[in-house]
Formats: sequence, C-alpha cells, structure tokens
Amino acid sequence: MTKDRKDKSARAGFGCPYGSRRDLLFGLAGAGAAIALRPQRGFAKEAEDPKAAEKARGRQVADAPAGSGDTRDSVPFYGEHQAGVVTPRPASGIVASFDVVAQSPEDMERMFRELTDRIAFLTQGGKVPELDPKLPPADSGVLGPVIEPDNLTITLGVGSSLFENRPWLKPYKPKQLQRMPEFPNDALDAARSHGDLSLQFSANLQDTNIHALRDIVKNLPEFLVMRWMQEGDVPVVPPKPDGTTESARNFLGFRDGSANPDSTDAELMEEVVWVGEDDEEPDWAHGGTYQAVRIIRNFVERWDRTPLGEQERIFGRQKNSGAPLDGGTTENDVPDYAADPKGEITPLDAHIRLANPRTPESQENLILRRPFNYSNGVTKSGQLDQGLLFIAYQADLEKGFIAVQNRLNGEPLEEYIKPVGGGFFYVLPGVPSPDSYLGRPLIEAAKKSDTPT
Amino acid sequence: MSLIRILAASAFALIVSAGAAQAQSKQASLELVEPLAEYKIYVAENAAALVEDTEKFVAAIKAGEVEKAKSMFAPTRRHYEKIEPIAELFADLDVSMDSRADDYEKGEADPNFGGFHRIEYVLWEKDTTEGLDDYADKLLADVKDLNNRVSELTFPPEIVAGGAAVLMEEVAATKISGEEDRYSRTDLWDFEANFDGSRKIFELFKPLLDDEAFVAKVESNFADVYEVLADYQTEDGGFVSYEKLTDMDRRVLSAKVNTLAEELSTLRGRLGLG
Repeated sequence: MTKDRKDKSARAGFGCPYGSRRDLLFGLAGAGAAIALRPQRGFAKEAEDPKAAEKARGRQVADAPAGSGDTRDSVPFYGEHQAGVVTPRPASGIVASFDVVAQSPEDMERMFRELTDRIAFLTQGGKVPELDPKLPPADSGVLGPVIEPDNLTITLGVGSSLFENRPWLKPYKPKQLQRMPEFPNDALDAARSHGDLSLQFSANLQDTNIHALRDIVKNLPEFLVMRWMQEGDVPVVPPKPDGTTESARNFLGFRDGSANPDSTDAELMEEVVWVGEDDEEPDWAHGGTYQAVRIIRNFVERWDRTPLGEQERIFGRQKNSGAPLDGGTTENDVPDYAADPKGEITPLDAHIRLANPRTPESQENLILRRPFNYSNGVTKSGQLDQGLLFIAYQADLEKGFIAVQNRLNGEPLEEYIKPVGGGFFYVLPGVPSPDSYLGRPLIEAAKKSDTPT
Repeated sequence: MSLIRILAASAFALIVSAGAAQAQSKQASLELVEPLAEYKIYVAENAAALVEDTEKFVAAIKAGEVEKAKSMFAPTRRHYEKIEPIAELFADLDVSMDSRADDYEKGEADPNFGGFHRIEYVLWEKDTTEGLDDYADKLLADVKDLNNRVSELTFPPEIVAGGAAVLMEEVAATKISGEEDRYSRTDLWDFEANFDGSRKIFELFKPLLDDEAFVAKVESNFADVYEVLADYQTEDGGFVSYEKLTDMDRRVLSAKVNTLAEELSTLRGRLGLG
C-alpha cells in the first residue's frame, strides 16, 4: 500500500538536504553494500545538524531538489545496486542512448570495464591528468582542473537489441526486456527511440552531467555511437520551515511524483524496484531493475487554454495543493475511491485514478518515477517543444510501466501529450567493489557456458 | 633524403610515452622535411588530376551529356576529397566549390549555391544539364585556381599533420549521415577518398613515431574502415548508393571514424608540433 506520508516527521532540513554522506547511505537501499569512502570536506555538517540523519532518510526521489547543493557532495558508486534509482533526484538530468559496436565477449568486457572506470571517477571526482599542451587535453575542462562530484550519479542500462544482435549474449537477456512497443497514443521518432545502452546522468548542475557525458564519449569512441540524448531539469524548491518537501512540478503545472512508493523504504524498494530471487530473472540480473524512459511532448499552449477545473479533473488532483479532489490539503493525502465508485468526485478516467486505482490488485503495479522536464525549442508549427522526460523503475516491466500505461491508454490527458521517444532498458546490478565492474556477472555467465541453453 | 633521415633518427628521436603522453620536440622540423615534401607532391598530383578530370566533367556538362556527366561526378570529386585539409585553407574556393544547399538560407533556390553540389542537384534532381554552363565554368576556374595556389603554398607542418584527423572529423561530423552527396548518393566514394587522404598523411609520418602500439592500433582501425567499405564496392572500383549502407555498418564506421579521429588528434603532439 502506498504509504501515507502524513505521519512522517519532518524530512529534509535546510541547506544541504543530503546531510553527511553516512546519512545518505542510511537512505539508500541495499543492505551490506560495500562502500568506498574517501575523505570528504562535507562532514562538518553532521556535527552541526543532528537531525540530518532523519531528514536525509526521508528524501523522496520525486521531491523537488532543495537547492543547488554543494558541488563537493557525492553519491557512493560501489554497492549492491547502481546509484541514481532510489537516490534523491537532483535538479538536472540527461538520458543518453547509444548503439554498441562491441561484438565479442572480450570487447564487451573491455567496454564495461572502461565505462566502470569512467563512472567511478566522474561520480567521486578528482584531479584530471595533465598532458603535454601539444596533445589534446585529457578532459574538456568544463568543470575546471579538479572535478567535483556535485552529487553526480551515472546509471547504466542495456537494451533488448544488445542481446538480440549477439548470439552468445541472447540466452541471458532479462526475461521481460523488450523493444519498447508503440502504445496507441505514441508517435515514436526513430531518431529518439530505443538503443543498445542507456546512461542516465543526474547531478545538481547540468554542466556536471554534460561534462560526464562528454568524458564518456571521448573515452569510448571504439565501442559507443551516440544515438539520442535528452536533457531535463526540475525546479528547485527549498523545504518549508517545518521541513516538509513536495514533489517537483512538471510543465503542465502539476506535481509529478505524488504517490511514488517510498524510495527510502529499503524493503519496499526490494519488492517494487529491485530484481531479486523472487523475480523470475537470470541470476546475473539480481540487484538490477527495469528502466522505462519516455520522451513525452506536452502541448503546453493548448493546456494553458484549458479551464482549471478541467485540468484538475483530467489529472484527478487539485493543481495548487496537489491534494486529491475529494479533499485534503497536500499531495500526500490519499483519495478514497471506494467512497466514490461512480467517479463523481474523481473521474474514473482521471490520470491518477487510471494509473493507480488503489485496489488490492493494483498494488502489484507500483512503479518508481524519477522524471525531469525538458524544453527543446520550437516545432515546425511554431509551438513550444517541451515536455516530460519520464523515467520509471520497476522489478517487473510487464506489471509495472506496461500495465500502468495500458490502463492509461485513451485517457483524456492524451489530448495534451504525445510520447515521441525513449526506450526500455535493464539497469545492471551494482558494482560491489573496485576489483569488479559493471556487467561482470553477465559477462562471466555468458563466457562460462560453451553452448547456450 | 635518406641521409637526412638517418641524422634525424639518431640525433633527434622523439620521445612519446604510452599513457599520459608527453611530447618533446627537439628540432623536430628536420625529420619532418621529407614527409612534408612527399605530401606536397601528393597534393600537387591530386590537384593536377582534379583539373584534368574537371575539364572532362565540364565538357560533358556543356555537351548536354547527362549520363556521362553523372558517371564522372564522384570520380572527379575524389581528388578534391583526398586533399581537403589543404584545399580548405582556401576558404573562398572551398565555399565556391564544395558548399551544400543548407549552407544557404534559400537552399537550392539560392543562386549563390554553386560548385559540385549545384551541378549534382541539377543532374540528379532535374535530370538535365540545362542552366549549368556558368556553374560548370566557375567550377573549372576554381579548380585551376586551387591548383595554382597549392603549388605556391608552403605547407605548415601542423596543418599537414593535423590534416589526418581533420579528414576524420569531416566524416564524423557531417558526412556519416549521408548529407554530403544527397542527390547522387555517392557519399561512399567521398568516404574512401577522405580515408585515403588521412591514411596518406599517417603513412608519411609513421616512420617518425616510436610508439609501436599506437601505430598498430591506427593501422588496425584503418584496415577496419576499408573492410567495411569493401562490402559496398562495385566491379569498376566505385561504390553503391549510400542508401545501401546498413545501420550496423554505419555504426561500425562511425565508431571507427571517431576512434581514428581521437587517435590521429595526437599526431601533431607526437611529432613535437603544437
């Protein structure tokens, strides 16, 4: 059951919402994770603010980021799960999709090792190597000579096509990984859809993400060809004086992420997000998750010409407060659909009601959303090209995003939105220690058997 | 010539270490003399051949021989594409000879859009040579002008050494998508010519490079790009339409081209040039 967060005590505090790094670790799922610590200048904050631990624990992925944060703050890279899934979402993000040119197991391993090295460095920061000025510099210099981590996470996922095009890898494909289908309202642009490999970057500053993407492109031209990328961001909203936070708003003016499952509840995340023994997936995939990316154009001019009451009925929430239409004051209030069986208060085809009817059965369709807003320019028709970079994580793609989207097909909101890109990817399990690398369980499983089963 | 090389090798060896490379230049200019001289000859030969082929191309256009002109378009351009790093130094000629429709606000409707691609546009899209006389004459004049300017040019060493990477950057940035020869679809011809030009420069400077691993990697990558192109070759040594290039092959080419661009971007430094 989606937790009612009304009774949760004040969550993130003032200033840096992440507290000390140790506090951040409490907030992350993954028991027994081996974390590589390095001396951090941010530790002084822990002594100043004893409530930091509790507040950091409460930070939800879809909360509006509280401030630009301290560029010295970092998110640990090593662990059972990759960072960037249940990690609180900072203000800026990029999803980049690539085609992979590596064909053999050896090349694939080299690619994964190289990616792991780059990601480990970029997310923890450090000095860039200095080369002779007659050579191109090793680093773009966008962040200066010393890279600050800036809460960067880089999350690596693999697409169905990676497996399909490699006979030695195909038998190990996650069971539900598939090429994203076209749903009835979709108008997928081939140039912005699918891919062999996805990288989700999130950091306080977009420059940090861009710097990281450029670093990876520069270091892996042998293996990766860029396919598409979409930048996005979410507005910064400092917590209220009482410490409460709210989900960030999307470009339709509504909060996006209310009713997300509690990302700080490790047990719930194991059930909803992380693939484990209970899921029917290959062993190598344990600790990973399915990622659904959707680039969803919003017809904002038309939306802004729609009566407020209608907007609220389309969504099923009050616009300003985020509360359900049957009462309440905040987005944390839970609608009582049982008391409204005909949908006279919250229409039966309201977005939130279709997405999550809150029945016992629909509890198995929970997804964790961690989106960004994007703004790309102007269309040929002279309208603004902006919308939602939707990103959702779930342990079961069929029961998660696919089931939810199928319920949404035909919703009134479709007049105002048009999915134009994205893809389905499988986020690899985390890297437990520095002598391992992203994708190792998969590569070793594939190398072990001589004949695919 | 070989005496110079012996002196150069013994007295002025370049030191480039693997990994975080440092490039030292100790009187590097002496050992560069021979490769630069040979490159100048290469460029002169191609510039002269460009004049010769363009004369025939223009003659066919003015005689109204559409099919003949079409068949000469790509082979004539090859000489230009091989020496592009030098040809580009003359920006006015480059614009006049090799600009594309989208370099002009009015596109194909812009009378200033001329050169090879204007001719290509009319030959393939309109299937005629009508209205091309002036453009053809201008192209020939430009090509002759280029030939003259090239013969008088002192080739700056960094430009030559950097040219190997520049050719790859060209392909990577604007050609791999098939936008260069969009009417005739003869892009694969251009790719081969660009690769030829790049490889020529690399071959000329190779003897001066100490890093065997680097040399081996670059040679292997060059071999790979030619291998991909070989699948698309026709019997007469030409190429099939760009449209035939599979997605997979385009990705492989893209990866190799970008990798070569990265590798060749270190050539100047490895030779002690800034």
